[in-house]
Amino acid sequence: MILQALTAYYKRLAAEGTAVSEGFKRIEIPFLIILNMEGEFVGLQDTRVPHGRKLVAQSFLIPTENERQGSKAWQKTNFLWDHYGYVLGWPKTENKKDKEMARKQHETFVAETKMISTFCTEDKAVEAVCRFVVSGNFDAVFNHRLWKDCSKISGCNLTFQIENQIGLVCQRDSIKAFISKGQFVNDEDEQSDCIREWVGFCLVTGETGPIARLHPRTPVVGSKSGAKIVSFQKNMGFDSYGKIQSYNAPTCKKAAFAYTTALNEMLSKKSRQKIFVGDATTVFWAAKKNDLEDVFADIFGEPAKENPEQANKAIRILYEAPKAGVPPLTEDYTRFFVLGLAPNAARIAVRFWHVGTVGETAQHILQHFEDCKVVHGPKQPEYLSLFRLLVSTALQGKSENIPANLAGEFMKAILAGTPYPHTLLAAVIRRCRAEREVTYPRAALLKAVLARAARFYKHSEQEVGMALDTGNSNIGYRLGRLFATLEKIQEEANPGINATIRDRFYGAASGTPVAAFPHLMKLKNHHLAKLGNRGRAVNLEKVITEIMDAIVDFPTHLSLQDQGRFAVGYYHQRQVFFTKNTNN
Amino acid sequence: MNGNSKRTAPFRLKVWGRNACFTRPEMKVERVSYDVMTPSAARGVLESILWKPAIHWLVERIDVLAPIRWESVRRNEVGSVMSPGSKGIFIEEKRQQRAGLLLRDVAYTIHSRLEMTEKAGTEDNLTKFQEMFLRRAEKGQCFHRPYLGCREFAADFALIRRDEPLPEPIAVSCDLGWMLYDIQHDNRADKNHVHSCTESCRPSFFRAELSNGVLLVPSLDSGEVRQ
Repeated sequence: MILQALTAYYKRLAAEGTAVSEGFKRIEIPFLIILNMEGEFVGLQDTRVPHGRKLVAQSFLIPTENERQGSKAWQKTNFLWDHYGYVLGWPKTENKKDKEMARKQHETFVAETKMISTFCTEDKAVEAVCRFVVSGNFDAVFNHRLWKDCSKISGCNLTFQIENQIGLVCQRDSIKAFISKGQFVNDEDEQSDCIREWVGFCLVTGETGPIARLHPRTPVVGSKSGAKIVSFQKNMGFDSYGKIQSYNAPTCKKAAFAYTTALNEMLSKKSRQKIFVGDATTVFWAAKKNDLEDVFADIFGEPAKENPEQANKAIRILYEAPKAGVPPLTEDYTRFFVLGLAPNAARIAVRFWHVGTVGETAQHILQHFEDCKVVHGPKQPEYLSLFRLLVSTALQGKSENIPANLAGEFMKAILAGTPYPHTLLAAVIRRCRAEREVTYPRAALLKAVLARAARFYKHSEQEVGMALDTGNSNIGYRLGRLFATLEKIQEEANPGINATIRDRFYGAASGTPVAAFPHLMKLKNHHLAKLGNRGRAVNLEKVITEIMDAIVDFPTHLSLQDQGRFAVGYYHQRQVFFTKNTNN
Repeated sequence: MNGNSKRTAPFRLKVWGRNACFTRPEMKVERVSYDVMTPSAARGVLESILWKPAIHWLVERIDVLAPIRWESVRRNEVGSVMSPGSKGIFIEEKRQQRAGLLLRDVAYTIHSRLEMTEKAGTEDNLTKFQEMFLRRAEKGQCFHRPYLGCREFAADFALIRRDEPLPEPIAVSCDLGWMLYDIQHDNRADKNHVHSCTESCRPSFFRAELSNGVLLVPSLDSGEVRQ
C-alpha cells in the first residue's frame, strides 16, 4: 500500500501541476557555467545560499542522473550536466590515475553532447554548449575567481546556462522532447548486463508494462546516497524464485518513477512535508490538499528560533473553531498518510506506516497534547515539541542517544491514538533516576503515559492529573509529594545549599521507599528545628501530615508505574511551592 | 453432487499467533508485511497439516479475527540462498540485521477446499483425504509446524467443525491493493522430482479487498488473478 499511496500522491502532484516530469529530477547544482550564444565562456554563477551556518546549493529540475557503478562508470554521463570531471575534465586530485580518469570522463561527455546537438539541431543554446565543450579550452573557467570555491567541493556538479536567458540549457523544450522519446533514460541496465527486459504485471498499478530492474534512488538522512526503498542486493539471499534484483517485486518503470519522485519531492531540502523523529525521517501527505498537511511539520517539529510561536499557532489551528463554511479538521475524511523511514546503511527500512483520515489523525494529535498537558513555569512553552519530549529521555539530552525504535513507536502511538510504548515509561524513569531531576518534559511524558494507559485499559484507579491533586491516594504519588516537601523543608532550613536530599536519595526514595524515607523523616525534624520562622515550620508540618494521611506504611519497593507516579507527584508538589513563592 | 465432486466441502481452520509477517514482495529486504494473511500463506498452513502430490489446496476466503496491529523490530536473518548442490551454509558468517514491520496478535479463519490433481492414483479419492485432514487437524497433527508468513512466527491452529459457529470477523472494510496470490511455477525444468525455479516462474496477484473483516480469494481461473 505504501507504493500505491505514493504513486497516487504523484498523480495528485501532476494534477496540481507541480509534479516533476518523467526523466527529470531535482538535483543540487552549486555552480552554473554561463555561456553566450556563440558558446564562449562568460562567467561562473554561484547558486549557493546561506542556510544556517552552511551554504546550500540550489536544486534544479534537470534530467535524471544515470546510475554509474564499477570500473566502466566513466562510460556513462549525465545529460548536459555532471560533475567537473565529466564537464571540464578536471581531475579530483593531481594523481596520474585521476587525471587519466577525468580525461576519459570528459571524452564521454563530449561525445554525448555532440550526439545531443545532432538531435536538437534547431536549438541554438544546445549548439552553443556543444561548441564550448568541443573546443576543449577551459582556461577561462579555471582562471575565474569563483573556480577555487567550485573545485573545493568534491565532485561539484555543473551545468550550463545561456547569458540573459531564463532556465538552464538542459531544461529546454528541445531537451525535454529528446528525453521523452525515452531511448536514453533508464536504458543503462538492460543494455549493459545483457539482461533481458521483462514485461509483466505491475504490483503497484495493476497494469502490464516493462518492469524496472533497478528503481530510482530515494536516499533518506543517514543512508548512503544510492539508497533505495525497493532494492535487492545480488547474491545476498534476496534472489528467490529464479528472479534477480527488482524482478522479485515486479513494478513497472512508470510506477517506479512515480513513487520515487513523489518521495523525493517530500524528502527534498525545502519540503515542508517531512520531520525528523529520532533516527527516522518521517514524511506525510494527504490524498487531497489539506490544512493538516501544511501544519503537521510545525506541530511536531522543534519551533524555529526566529519564530518560536509557530508551533503553538499550528496546534491552535487544531483547536480552532471552524471558519464559516469550512468543516473543522476533525471532521475531514480525506485520507492521510504518514511514512517513517530509517536508514540501514545502503538500505532503507520502513519504521512505521500510518493510514488514517485527516479528522482521525487531527483528533489523535489533539489527544496527545491533552495527555501531555501538565503544570509548568510561566516561561516554559505551552506545548512541547516531539523533539523536546524525546531528547528528555536520552542520555545527555542528545538526539542520537534516543533509544532506537522508541521514536518511531512513540510517533505511531500518537497518530493511531494507542497507548504509548512501555519502553517510554522505563526510559523516562531511568533518566529521572540517573539525573535525579524531574523536568517539565519528563513530567509531561510520565503523566501522558499513565493517563493514556488508564484510559485505554480502563483502570478503576484514579490517575495522575495535570496539576497537584491532593485527593490522589496512590502510594507512589503521595511519596513523590512527600519527597518534594521534605526537600523544600531542607532548602528552607539551609538556604543556598548545594546538594539537597534529592541528589542523594532520589533513586532510593522512588525505587525502594522503605530504605530512604524513615531516614529522611528523621532528617526533616532537624531541618524543621533549624527554621527561624515558627509559623512556616507549622505550615510545612501540616502539609506533611496531610500527605502522610493516606500512607500506612513505606513500601519496600515501587512498581514502574508507581515510580512514574512518584515522579509526577514530586513534580506537581514542587510546582505548587514555586507558584506560592511568586504569590508572596 | 456431480458438479462439485472434484472438490471437498469447505473446511474451516482457525489459526492464530503472537506475530506474523506476510512479506510484501517490494518490501522483502527490510520486511513490511501485508495487512492480512495472503492466500499463499494460508495454503502453506494447510499444507503443513496435510499434503500429498495427489491433492491441491484451494483457499477461498480468509476472515480476520483480530484487529490489525503493527510492531517494528530488528531481527537477524540469513543473507544467502543455499543452492541445491551446496553442502550447506555456515549461518554465523551470513548474518544480516534487518528491520521488519510485522503484525502482532493475529487470528484468522481460513476457508478452503481440497481438489485432486492429475497425480492422483486409482486408490485416491477425495473422501479419503477429507477424512485424513479432519482427523489430523482435530488432533493437532502436522508435518511441520505451521507458520504465519515467516518460519519463526509459529501458528496455533484449531479445526472449526461444520456444526460449530464461525468466530466473528472484525468490522473493518478497506482496499488492500494488489496482493500476492501465489507463485505460478513452471515445472518444465524439473528433474527427478526436484523443482528448480526459472525465469518463467511468475508471481500472480489479485485485487484484495477487506469487507467487514472478510477477504474473498478468487480462484485461479476466475480471471481476477493476474500474472
